[in-house]
Amino acid sequence: MKKLILLFLCSIAVNILQAQERIILLNEGNWQADNGKITYFEDGEVISNQWFRDVNKRKLGDTPNDIIQVNNNLIAISVNWSNIIQFISPDGKSVAETEDVPNNRKLATDGNYVYVTSYGHECGTVDGFVTFTKGYVAKIDIRTFKVVATCEVGYEPEGIALYEGHLFVANTGGYAFQEDHEYETTVSIIDAETMQLVRDVDTGQINLYGKLSQSGQYLCINSPGDYYDIPAATVIFDCEKALEGDDDCFVVLEYASTYNCTMLDGNFLAIGARFSYYTNEYTFNYVVIDPCEVIITDGAGGVEESLPGTMLDDLMALGMPYGVYVNPYTGYIYATDAGSFAAAGALVQWSPEGNFLGRHKVYINPAHFLALPPDGDDVTSIRQIADRGRLVRADGMFDLRGMRMDVAPDRGLYIHDGKKIYKQ
Amino acid sequence: MYLLVQSALAQDVGTGLKPSRLDSIQYLSEVVISSKQPFRSTATSQTLKGGELQALSTTSVADALKYFAGVQIKDYGGLGGLKTINVRSLGAQHVGIYVDGIRVTNAQNGTVDLGKFSLSTMESVSLYNANKLDNCQSASEYASGATVYLRTRRPVKDSLSVQLRRASFTTWMAKANAQFERKGWSGFIDGEWTDSRGDYPFRYHSEYEDTVGRRSNSDIRYGRIEGALFKGGFSSHVYYYDSERGCPGGIVRRLSDKYVNVGREWDRDFFVQASYQAQLMDYHHVKVNAKYTHEYLRYCTDYPENHNTARVNNHYIQQDGYGALCYAFTPWSWLSLSASYDARYSKLTADLKKFDDVFRLDQKQVLAAQVNWQGLRMAASLLHQHYRDITSAHVGAADPLDRWTPAFSTAYTWGGLTLRAWYKKIFRAPTLNDLYYTQAGNRNLKPEYTKQLNFGLEYQFNSPHWNASLQADVYQNKIENRIVCLPLKGTYTWSMMNYGYTFCRGLNATAQGRFHTGGWQFSLLTSLTWQRDVNRTDPDDEDTYDKPICYSPTLSSGITAIVGWRNLQLTTSYLYVGERMWSYADPEDVLAPYHNIDTKLTYSHTIGKMEWGVCLEVCDLLDEQYEHIPRYPMPGRNYKLTLSFGL
Repeated sequence: MKKLILLFLCSIAVNILQAQERIILLNEGNWQADNGKITYFEDGEVISNQWFRDVNKRKLGDTPNDIIQVNNNLIAISVNWSNIIQFISPDGKSVAETEDVPNNRKLATDGNYVYVTSYGHECGTVDGFVTFTKGYVAKIDIRTFKVVATCEVGYEPEGIALYEGHLFVANTGGYAFQEDHEYETTVSIIDAETMQLVRDVDTGQINLYGKLSQSGQYLCINSPGDYYDIPAATVIFDCEKALEGDDDCFVVLEYASTYNCTMLDGNFLAIGARFSYYTNEYTFNYVVIDPCEVIITDGAGGVEESLPGTMLDDLMALGMPYGVYVNPYTGYIYATDAGSFAAAGALVQWSPEGNFLGRHKVYINPAHFLALPPDGDDVTSIRQIADRGRLVRADGMFDLRGMRMDVAPDRGLYIHDGKKIYKQ
Repeated sequence: MYLLVQSALAQDVGTGLKPSRLDSIQYLSEVVISSKQPFRSTATSQTLKGGELQALSTTSVADALKYFAGVQIKDYGGLGGLKTINVRSLGAQHVGIYVDGIRVTNAQNGTVDLGKFSLSTMESVSLYNANKLDNCQSASEYASGATVYLRTRRPVKDSLSVQLRRASFTTWMAKANAQFERKGWSGFIDGEWTDSRGDYPFRYHSEYEDTVGRRSNSDIRYGRIEGALFKGGFSSHVYYYDSERGCPGGIVRRLSDKYVNVGREWDRDFFVQASYQAQLMDYHHVKVNAKYTHEYLRYCTDYPENHNTARVNNHYIQQDGYGALCYAFTPWSWLSLSASYDARYSKLTADLKKFDDVFRLDQKQVLAAQVNWQGLRMAASLLHQHYRDITSAHVGAADPLDRWTPAFSTAYTWGGLTLRAWYKKIFRAPTLNDLYYTQAGNRNLKPEYTKQLNFGLEYQFNSPHWNASLQADVYQNKIENRIVCLPLKGTYTWSMMNYGYTFCRGLNATAQGRFHTGGWQFSLLTSLTWQRDVNRTDPDDEDTYDKPICYSPTLSSGITAIVGWRNLQLTTSYLYVGERMWSYADPEDVLAPYHNIDTKLTYSHTIGKMEWGVCLEVCDLLDEQYEHIPRYPMPGRNYKLTLSFGL
C-alpha cells in the first residue's frame, strides 16, 4: 500500500514537474512607451506578465514584433521600435542582443542562422555598414550574433519563411501611402546560403503585410489591400512549385487572413476583416484553409468557413482579436484579445478540438506567440508535425466548386493539377 | 500615423508686480462700451492679469493656465514639445482660445497651440467654464466647452523696451516692444526671436532600469512679430510666427544613440483681425469681427538617419476667412437681448496621397437673453451650428452637420456673496483630420457632445489695504461619442471612431488674497481641483468601466506667492499634481505625483529716463524628474537670466 501511495505521489510529482503546455507571448505594449512585455504561460496558468523583466531585472524594449526558437537553447525576439534583436535562452535569460538591424520585423531560422526582415535602409555587418534603397533581409550567425550577409528585397519586407534552403520574403511596400513608391506585390526568393536573390514572384496582390504562416511547402500570406479600392485577400503560396520555376505557384483567395497560423493537421486558420475607407465598414471571415486543396483546385475548394468546436462563437465575442496560434507540439489553440488597447489584453485557450478552456489577463496588445517544447522533449519534435502538414500533392480533377471528379468532362471548364482547363 | 502638430512656445518675461515702464503693466478696465448697467457674469471664471500674470515664471500661455483650477496640462517636454490644456476632462479640442474675442481656430486638428502667443503682449488670461455673456458676444464664443480669453494690452503711453535672455540648454532669446499712444489711437509692435538647443538631461531610475541621457532633436528656433492698433471700439491685430523644431519621440530602450528618429517640423502662421463695436442711442449695441488666417506646416522625416518610420515630407496649408455680426438690444436696464451670426470658411490643402483639398463652411447663429434684477441674474442662449464640407477627396465629403444646443445660467448676489448655477450642452464637430486624413479619417463621425452642470459660490472682500476672494464650484460633466483613433477590429489599420463615454464629477476652488502696506505688496493665489472622472464606455468591460480616465489626476493644486518690496519682487509657484494612471493594464502603469516649484526674482531700477531690470528664474527647483506622457521626460531644474532695458 505504501508503495502504491508513493507511486501515486511520484506520478503527481512527475506531472507537476513536467510542464506540457508552455507558451511565450509577446505583448507589444504602446508605441513609444517602452512597455513591451513577455507573458509566460504554463499549463493553463499565467506565470508572469513581465517575464523578461523578472528574469533579467531590466526591460525588454518598445514593440516586440516576432519571436522564434532557433534551437534547444536559443530564442530570438525582434524588438522593432527599440531596433534590437534580443536573444534569450528558453528560461528567459538574456543571451545576446544586437542593434545592427534597425526597424527589424519578422524572423526565420535554420538552427544556425537567424534571418530577419527589415524596413530600414542600413545594416551593420561583419563587413561594415551596408545601405539599401529598399528593404532587406539580414543573416545573423548565432555563434557570433553578427550579421554575416544581407540581401536587398522589395520595399518594407515583412513575413519570411524558410523552405528547402530558400527564404521566401513577402514584400509590403507598406509606406506607400506616405512615401514616393507604390505598394509591393512580390514574394522574393533568396538562396539562404549565398543570400543571393533567386527571383521575385509577382502575386498581383498589394501590401503582403502581417504574419506569414508556413505549413511545409505552403505559405499563407495576408494582403490587406489598400483599404480603398483594393480589398483584402489571402495568397496561398506553393514554395515547391516556386522553386521549380513555375510562375503559377500561388492562389489568391477572397478572404482576409490578418491573423493566421498553422494548425496541427497542416491547414491554416485565418481570421480577418475586409475593410474599406469609403464605407468604413468591414466584413469578417473566420476560415480554415487546406493549402494543398486550394492549390490543386486553383482556389475553387479547400476553404471551410467553420472552425473547430466553439471557436467561432468565442472568437466573435472577442473585443479585438490580435493574434491566433496553435501549439505545434500539442495542438492547443490560442488567440489574443487586445480589448480596448488601453486595458490589459487577454489570452484565450482552446483544446485541440476547439473547446474553450479559459481566458487569462495578460498585457497591452498581446500579439506574438512561441510554444516551447514540452518538458523532456526538444524542438526537433516540431519537425515531425511540420512533416505531417506537408501533404502529398495529389493529382486530380475538380469542378469549379472544388468537387473532385473522376473523369474529365467532355466540355467546359475544369481544374486539373492546379490549372484551369477549358475544353471546347 | 498622426500628423504631429507640435506647439511652439513663446517666451515671456515680466519684471514686476508694480506697474513699471518696462513691461507697461496697466490695470486697464475692459474696453466694453457698456449699456446703462453692466451685466455681471454668471459664469465660473478665473483670470490672471497684469502684474500677477507677468510675475509667474511662464514661458507660454499654457504655463499660466496650469495654475487655474480644473485645468490639466499635457506637455511632451522641452521648449518645442506639444503643450495642450484640457479643462475639466472635456478634452483639448473642447477648449476654445480667443484673442480679443476672436477665436483662434485650427480646422485641421482642432487644437490650438497656446505656446505661439506671447504673454508679453497680453493684459489678461481668463478661463470661462460657461458662456462669458458679454453684452454683445459673437456666436462662436458660445460654441466651446471651455473658453480661454487672451486680452491684448492697450498701450496708454509711448515706450520702447528690449529684453535679452540666456537660459539653460543653450537657449537665447531677444525681444523688443515699441508702443505709442496718440489722440485716442494706440498700438504696439512686438517682436521676438528665440533659439534653443533643448538638449536637456534626463534620468529614468527604477528597479528595472537606470537610463541616463540627453534629449536629442529637441531644438527649436522661432521668430514672432505682431502689431496691434486700437481706437475706442476699434481693435486690430496682425501676427506672424515662423518656427523650426525637432520632434523627439519617447525614450525607449536602445543599445546606443546610433538611431535617432528624426522628425522635424516647420510652422508659418499669419493672421490679421479687426473688430469694431459701437453703441447707438443707448439701446442698440453692434459689433463686427473679421479675420483672415494663413497657416503653413511642413513635417519631414526624410533623413538618412531615420530608419524607423516612413520617410515623409508633407506640406499643409490652411486658410481661414471669418466674419461675425453681433447685435444686442437693451430696452430696459434689466434686460438684454442679443443675436449674432458667424461664418467661417476654411480651406485645407495637403500633399498627402489620396487627399484632396477640403473646404469647410461653418456657420453659427445664437439668440441670447439676459435679465439682471436686483442681484438676480439669469441668462439663456440657444446656439445653432451648421457645418458643410466640400471635397473631391477619395472618400467624399461628410454629410452636413446641423445642430441646436442650449445653455442656461443664473446667479444671485447678496453683499459680497454670489451663488450661481449653470448648464451647458455643446459639441465639437469632427475636425478635417478626423474626417479626411489619409488612412485614418472617417467621414461618418458624429459630433462629440459635452453636457456640463455646475453649482458654485463666490465671495469677495475688499478693504483699502487688502482684498480677498474665494470661489468654489462643484460640477458634473458627461461626454458622449468621444472621437478617438483606434485600430479596427480584424485589420491592421487605425481609424477615427466615435467611442467612449466619460462621466466626471469634481470640485474646483480658488482662494486669493492681496495685501499692501508701505513699500510692501503681498499676493497669495491658490487653486484646488478634486475630480473623479470615470470611463462609462462599456459596462461589460470590468477592467475599464467606472475606472478613472487615463492621465486624469484626482487631486491637483497650485499656490503662487508674490512678495514685492520697492523695486524687488520674488514669486514662488508651487504646483502639485496627483497620481495619474496611463493605462488600465497594470497597476504599475501610473505617472508618479509630482511637485513643481518655480521661483523668480526680479529687480528693476531707473536711471534718468532709462529703466533697466534683471530677472533670475529657477524652474523645477526640486529637480523632480516627472512626466506628463510616459517616456517623454520633462527638463528638470533649469535657469533663465533676463536683462531688460526700457525708455
